[in-house]
Amino acid sequence: MELTREIYWNVGHGVGTLLPMYLLTFAAIAVLVTAFKKRIKIYKQGQSVDRLDQMPVRIANLVKNVLLQSKVTLVKGPGLAHGLFFWGFFLLFLGTCLIVVQADFTDLFFGVKFLKGNFYLLFSVALDLAGLVAVVMLGGLFVRRYFVCPEGLESKKDDAIMHGLLFAILLSGFVIEGARMAVTELGTSLAYWSPVGLVFAKSMAGLGEESLRSVHSLIWWFHLLLVMAFIVLIPFTKFRHIFTTSLNYLFEDLGPTGKLVSIDMEDEDAESFGAAVITDLTWKDIFDTDACTQCKRCQDRCPAHNSDKPLSPMKIINQIGEVAFENSESNLIEACDKDAIWSCTTCLACQEICPASIEHVKKIVDMRRNMVLMEGEFPGEEVMAAMEQTEVNGNPLGLGYASRGDWIEELGIKPLSEDPDVDILYFVGCYASFDKRNIKIAKSFVKLCQAAGIKVGILGKEEKCCGEPMRKMGNEYLYQSLAIENVELIKDYNVKKVVTTCPHCFNTLAKDYRDLDFDVEVESYTVFLEDLLKTGKLKVNAEELHCTYHDSCYMGRHNDIYAAPRSLIKAAGGQIAEMDKNRSEAFCCSAGGGRIMAEEKLGDRINVKRVEMAVETGAPTMISNCPFCLTMFEDGIKGADVEDKLSTKDIAEVLVERLN
Amino acid sequence: MKTLLVAEYRDGELLNSSYELVAFAEQLGAESAMFLVGSDSALPTYNGTLYLADVGKYGEFNPAVHKQLLLDAIAKEQPDMVVFAHSSYGWDLAPRISLALNVAHVSEVIDIVDGVPVVPACNAKLRRNVKAKTNQMVLTLQGGAFGLEDEPSGSPTVVSVDTDTAAQVEFCGYEEAEAGGVDLSKAEVIVSAGRGIGKPENLAIIEALAKALKGEYGASRPVVDSDWADHSRQVGTTGQTVSPKLYVACGISGAIQHLAGMKKSEFIVAINTDKDAPIGEVADVLIVADLKEFVPAMTEKINNL
Amino acid sequence: MKILVCIKQVPDMESRFKLNSESNWYEGTDLAWRMNEYDEYAVEQAVQLKGQVGDADLTVLSIGPDRVKEMMKKALAMGCDRGAHIADDDYFKKDPFEIASVIAEFAKDQGFDLIFTGMQSQDRGSGQVGVLVAEMLDLPSITTIVDFAFDGGQITVKRELEGGIKSVIKATAPALVTCQLGLNTPRYPTLPNIMKAKRKELLSIPISDLLKVEGKQETAKMYFPEKKGGGLVLEGDVADLTDRLIKILKDKTAVLA
Repeated sequence: MELTREIYWNVGHGVGTLLPMYLLTFAAIAVLVTAFKKRIKIYKQGQSVDRLDQMPVRIANLVKNVLLQSKVTLVKGPGLAHGLFFWGFFLLFLGTCLIVVQADFTDLFFGVKFLKGNFYLLFSVALDLAGLVAVVMLGGLFVRRYFVCPEGLESKKDDAIMHGLLFAILLSGFVIEGARMAVTELGTSLAYWSPVGLVFAKSMAGLGEESLRSVHSLIWWFHLLLVMAFIVLIPFTKFRHIFTTSLNYLFEDLGPTGKLVSIDMEDEDAESFGAAVITDLTWKDIFDTDACTQCKRCQDRCPAHNSDKPLSPMKIINQIGEVAFENSESNLIEACDKDAIWSCTTCLACQEICPASIEHVKKIVDMRRNMVLMEGEFPGEEVMAAMEQTEVNGNPLGLGYASRGDWIEELGIKPLSEDPDVDILYFVGCYASFDKRNIKIAKSFVKLCQAAGIKVGILGKEEKCCGEPMRKMGNEYLYQSLAIENVELIKDYNVKKVVTTCPHCFNTLAKDYRDLDFDVEVESYTVFLEDLLKTGKLKVNAEELHCTYHDSCYMGRHNDIYAAPRSLIKAAGGQIAEMDKNRSEAFCCSAGGGRIMAEEKLGDRINVKRVEMAVETGAPTMISNCPFCLTMFEDGIKGADVEDKLSTKDIAEVLVERLN
Repeated sequence: MKTLLVAEYRDGELLNSSYELVAFAEQLGAESAMFLVGSDSALPTYNGTLYLADVGKYGEFNPAVHKQLLLDAIAKEQPDMVVFAHSSYGWDLAPRISLALNVAHVSEVIDIVDGVPVVPACNAKLRRNVKAKTNQMVLTLQGGAFGLEDEPSGSPTVVSVDTDTAAQVEFCGYEEAEAGGVDLSKAEVIVSAGRGIGKPENLAIIEALAKALKGEYGASRPVVDSDWADHSRQVGTTGQTVSPKLYVACGISGAIQHLAGMKKSEFIVAINTDKDAPIGEVADVLIVADLKEFVPAMTEKINNL
Repeated sequence: MKILVCIKQVPDMESRFKLNSESNWYEGTDLAWRMNEYDEYAVEQAVQLKGQVGDADLTVLSIGPDRVKEMMKKALAMGCDRGAHIADDDYFKKDPFEIASVIAEFAKDQGFDLIFTGMQSQDRGSGQVGVLVAEMLDLPSITTIVDFAFDGGQITVKRELEGGIKSVIKATAPALVTCQLGLNTPRYPTLPNIMKAKRKELLSIPISDLLKVEGKQETAKMYFPEKKGGGLVLEGDVADLTDRLIKILKDKTAVLA
């Protein structure tokens, strides 16, 4: 017996089958193409942005994320189920393609058949099991969606159609297989290579050949129609993510992570800034909305959403999508809700986990830019006051700029204006310059450098806020004026290297300032100190320390610095009891995105939540690496009423206590 | 030295600030006379000449007319100094008089040293000695700077003043302060609670001290976050930025956002068990004590003053 | 309608003050400069009025050295139409009477329907200039307003009095008002308006063209007050502490008087 099967068994391979089949297929594809063309027109309403550079990287991203389902499977459970379903369905698709290629091409024109012998056995068993995996995974996802109902997962008509259609396609496939096998394969060894089909075949065997043939033929055409429906429905339902999400991996922002696009302040013709209508966004922003599958992973991790604020990154994307596709004249900001837009801490948890490579934060900042630059609007008067304070005194706290460098007294270091010949410029930042609590960190860092023989200088009263909180709040104008002053100043002193103890300063100087012709090397103090330890310049005594460590958003997700701080803590003798949400999953402190300047009027306190997570570890010390986080936790510890259980320290403080 | 003291009358009553002017004249050892647009049914307890214009006829607020009435009194009295309280009535009327007399006008005087008025500058961070180039002077006095030593007594010799000058503006009445909502930015005294108060019930002792000092109570962010106090009470850069004459921080360690929001207060008292709390940096007086004992004791003493 | 707003540039009160060599004013270095807070309310109210009546021309005036132009640009960005910078490096030596006479001289033939000023400056704090300008121009003036309404040439304002009480006053334009905290929330200039402001007229007039009087007072001396409490740390018995604090409050503040 030849190890193969007759393709088009029972339905025939004549014009009567092929003509309607191919006509239907072409018609379905035509509908799909036409519908996507319409959508492309909508994407094209957006501003231009180049997302086709660095093609090799982009293609690698595409392959990795589509074929390997890398991002999707980051979340176990539903992510893995999706991945397995995808691989199953994808195999079935490939199998179907092979059949078409053999039956309607190689065999038809050249008499070449390759679905035979051992390859056929493999083909048969693989497809059969792929179908089984797909059905089981689909079933699992169905149970999750409709019976487990995880919080925040919204099920719409689309979801019901998709589940129903996919299930029907898979099931009808097995019925066809079963009917065919019942007539042609039952009792042969070949049948064992289609185990699921065999089950179907056995259960249908009693019908007799004639009935089986009618059932087969009927279900075959039904299956075909279902597949055609599937193709047609792709652009009209969330099925479209098969194309849009896949392409979004290709169009992904290649970084630097979280870096915003600078507005050209010299452009005298510019009449509008930021995004208020859909055409203010880029095509990629609109495309993003089509790539969203409403998996709500972003929402699950959003600190604002998790503290009962009106923000859901997913909803922002969906609302922008609604404006783009249904109501393109309407105002984006109103559609997304101002309170939601202001609630974002730019922590990037949404983008980190998004399986569709959507860029949420940029859109939110674009809308903030419009509110601030075009309307002079802020989330509260306290934020406007902080902006004005920064204009006057160069810091959002409104403290006299002349005292910015006072903290170095007795440390034996000087501002660059007095001595520009230094190993590193320590860009101190506002909090470590003015806040007594954070000054301790600045002093600790300087002492560590001195112990390692590094000569440190600061800008002192010449230093201005790096502009990060203002920029993230949408005040690009103020950010750029501050940034330009800092850039010119640092360049004039011919600084070789800048080190910061504030991740917000670090991120801004190392990434954002690059748009302003700033090319000096910038390093985070954690990386810098780790290097000093490694090279033996800095020596600390390991003393036992039971602690937990908080990855700040701007050290972690924005800059992927997870190892250096942990290795410093370890070197100091610290044993870290990790919080559940750590590293790239770390929960924000509430102060990012310029929220450090704003009153948290809505929902619960994010900082208190984070402090409670730290308490859960049982460690008495919470170590952080960011002045904003530290400030939030100092308040949060009081807010959570755990002053007797937890205190917070910066890495530099821990190290300086253990200096040799 | 002769002074003419411009007393104030509002809503049918003589204002107490008028007696501070008397205290000023006494401290200066100067002769005094008084001017008042008021009523003979509410005469000041004051020994001396009172130039009295009828408030029924001229109104409580009527700058152009009051100016003319006062100029008449000045013409009769020929004082070396015309003295006002630095108040909504005083700072409004005084410049009109100084210009009409073509003399120097020194505002918000807190002291007179060797005959030279001393005034605050730059939010009381600096002082200024102001030398007049004219013999006659118009002064407005900072409230409370020249306190009353004794209960005022006596009865004035009334001299009526009148004018037929036309009014420039129309006074349409008073509006009472709104109840409920609190605007800390305008409070002259703020007593604030930090987490050091321990539990929400202790907010009452803070409130009581604020009341005794005729001020408002405020709170730090953690207190508001714990829902012990309303958002409108939050002092700090993420709440309200305040600059009262007196700020009393009770159990507030002094997070930077709080400090930045209250640093501009003219006088800061901190009550804290921790001597090294950052609030000590900005405090003029740091009381190292348990606020739960100190604050009620303080309230009681003030109420008994 | 023609509107005039008079503004002053003052140091941010958080600045580190130093005395000048003559000890009659503060030194200009190490100071962060800004628009006098009360003048911001004046600018905002003027801009709101312009927005209400539509057809209005809004002039902003300031006296001082070149650096005040930066602040005037903010006023222009907030919505003033033109700026008149009265150039004077020795502005701090002028007394309120001289300053007022300069403004009055500038304004006298221009037919301003309304003049807005702050109730006082944050540095000198005399609170006289607004009223003096109005008196010199023979206009009605209302000080310390916390509410402003304009309707057909008639203004209705609320003055802030002590103890939270307000009085309601009506006057007919032309008139002058001095603005107090609480009147409004000054707007944050939008970026297009900041750009436009750069192209708006900003004339500099030497003060000698307008100053025709002599001052009536001068700052004989400026100095730092004795440390209030001097960062006093008090410890001890509660009863004793309360007495000591009450004495300090009586001596150093006016709140217990």
